[in-house]
Amino acid sequence: MAIRPEEITSIIKQKIAQFDAQVDISETGTVIQVGDGIARVHGLKNVKSSELVDFGNGVQGMALNLEYDNVGCVLMGPDHLVHEGDIVKRTGKVISIGVSSQMIGRVVNPLGKPLDGKGEITAEKTMPLDIVAPGIIDRQPVKQPLQTGIKAIDAMIPIGKGQRELIIGDRQTGKTAIAVDAIINQKNIPEKERCICIYVAVGQKQSTVAQVIKTLSDFGAMDYTVVVSATASDPASLLYIAPYAGCAIGEYFMWQGKDVLIVYDDLSKHAQAYREMSLLLRRPPGREAYPGDVFYLHSRLLERACKLSNENGGGSLTALPIIETQANDVSAYIPTNVISITDGQIYLESNLFLSGIKPAINVGLSVSRVGGSAQRKMMRKVAGTLRIDLSQYQELAGFAQFGSELDKESQRQIARGKRMTELLKQHQYTPLKVGEEVWVLYAGTHGYLDTVPVEQVQAYEKQLLAFLHAQHAKALEELQQANELTEELEQKMVQILEEFKTVFKEA
Amino acid sequence: MNTTQRIAAQRYAVAYDALSTSSQEALRRQKDLHNAIKALAPAQNYLSSPRVSTAEKKGLVLSTLSSLPDTAAFIALLLDAKRFALLPAIEQQVQQLTDERLGIVRAEVSSAQILSPRQQEQTKEAIGQRYHARAEVTFNVNPQLLGGLKISCQGEEIDGTLQHQLEKLLKKISN
Repeated sequence: MAIRPEEITSIIKQKIAQFDAQVDISETGTVIQVGDGIARVHGLKNVKSSELVDFGNGVQGMALNLEYDNVGCVLMGPDHLVHEGDIVKRTGKVISIGVSSQMIGRVVNPLGKPLDGKGEITAEKTMPLDIVAPGIIDRQPVKQPLQTGIKAIDAMIPIGKGQRELIIGDRQTGKTAIAVDAIINQKNIPEKERCICIYVAVGQKQSTVAQVIKTLSDFGAMDYTVVVSATASDPASLLYIAPYAGCAIGEYFMWQGKDVLIVYDDLSKHAQAYREMSLLLRRPPGREAYPGDVFYLHSRLLERACKLSNENGGGSLTALPIIETQANDVSAYIPTNVISITDGQIYLESNLFLSGIKPAINVGLSVSRVGGSAQRKMMRKVAGTLRIDLSQYQELAGFAQFGSELDKESQRQIARGKRMTELLKQHQYTPLKVGEEVWVLYAGTHGYLDTVPVEQVQAYEKQLLAFLHAQHAKALEELQQANELTEELEQKMVQILEEFKTVFKEA
Repeated sequence: MNTTQRIAAQRYAVAYDALSTSSQEALRRQKDLHNAIKALAPAQNYLSSPRVSTAEKKGLVLSTLSSLPDTAAFIALLLDAKRFALLPAIEQQVQQLTDERLGIVRAEVSSAQILSPRQQEQTKEAIGQRYHARAEVTFNVNPQLLGGLKISCQGEEIDGTLQHQLEKLLKKISN
């Protein structure tokens, strides 16, 4: 579209004509101390907590500590641009972010500024970063499933839209991989039911964030994803506001009636950034030197994840917070806090990861407290007893290690358990559609794998899926669309699985 | 100066101000403190040096300020408490307390050109009316303001300059 210069001139003339020249009165203070991303300001007598203040030179800050004769502010920009004696002005605004549907497919910083060099984003609305979560009346129970495409999760630890499911584990156990797979899997879901995804990187290496963005782009997942990035090189204040910024963007879409999936990667670093700020602001340290309100820091963030009532448009915000543990210690301060806040956790273990079980989910310790009611009926029917069966298998397998003689039933359980464990293994970036998951799990739980050698289970799964796509695409699609596993459908499945028995070739 | 030092300076200033029973006395003491600091300025390095004993420093202060015994005693107290470095901040705080007693507000007015005596008087009067006090105004010239006045007083900035209006207009147009 060509822009005519006379149009621009007339717009500018109009704006000048409408301009109302007024004298501005602002409350000011003076910087008395600055350093480590913190500034102490004398004056600003009426400043409010969390109010944005202007330090000049394009640097803004947030008033956090309102003390007897000074105000402790965290700086949102480089502190070398702020000097002792500088004038600080109140803005009268709480910290907020300009949100817009143009953000989809973009990488932004926690202040909403684009980082991907694809041009400016015009804000459609300004959302405050820190708001009170929707109340009970505004919500409805979690009832729709959110498919992650990961068999183990969708079958045993189902996540519902509006749920908060923690992903917890040591470093290098595949926490981010699960979240990224869940985002990629949205591509497999019809556009009407697909979630808009927000990936919030808090304190990650720039290279890691770049890798995640590349992966999402390669799989076409950036078409419905927003990345909010506050990397390790950013000031602690930006790391602190990043999850709230991501949440505000998510809420913008949620209140439009859309479903949103938000990943906070990770809240351990978020807590560390808050600890850094709090200690520099001279707030009293508590357990592990975290400030006393570190629980509230995360609870007020995660409470904002919800399923809105139909009167409010029925949108949802599903949160997948990530917590990194040290030496599998889930009883540390931040992990216990977030475990108690969320509606369940996916616990990843380095031992399992190293023994080749990927995703390395510890079935016994992982739980979903509300997702069960959101799970598709057919999935519940197929995988209903899977969690208990696997737990029993792990217990029996422990006994079997001591060479104890086992009865036939126990031996059968061990054999089934081994095959199911093998079946639940899944490579990264290969999320399955719900129909495919049901088919594969049905084969496992109904004994079709009992005659297949353990090392051939993955080959069986691969060939089965290829067979279904090639020969029975219609039946697969039928199952994909169905909610309940009817007798008719089940009969068809049995028939096809019997047919596949003759086709399956050991690799 | 860190927050702790600021608070300490404020406490010393309040204590010094409390010696005065009337506004006039407070004004005299504030001037005494100002003159004392001026008189001690050449010996600043000597008084701050860790190699000189406190007794020697106190001796110098008492002999230099023999005509201001109260102020000399106050500065000797600061030397004893190793708070001599706070003296400029204490003076500032004492001035604020004296201004409060005398009902004075201090303002800084910036304009693009030098204001005529009549304009200066009018500005002073307007500031006095706004803050219900006698205004002590410092006038500065800053050609970058282009026109209008910018007044800083009592933690408030009143900006009616042309430069500020143009900045606002630019922001409005670019939005």
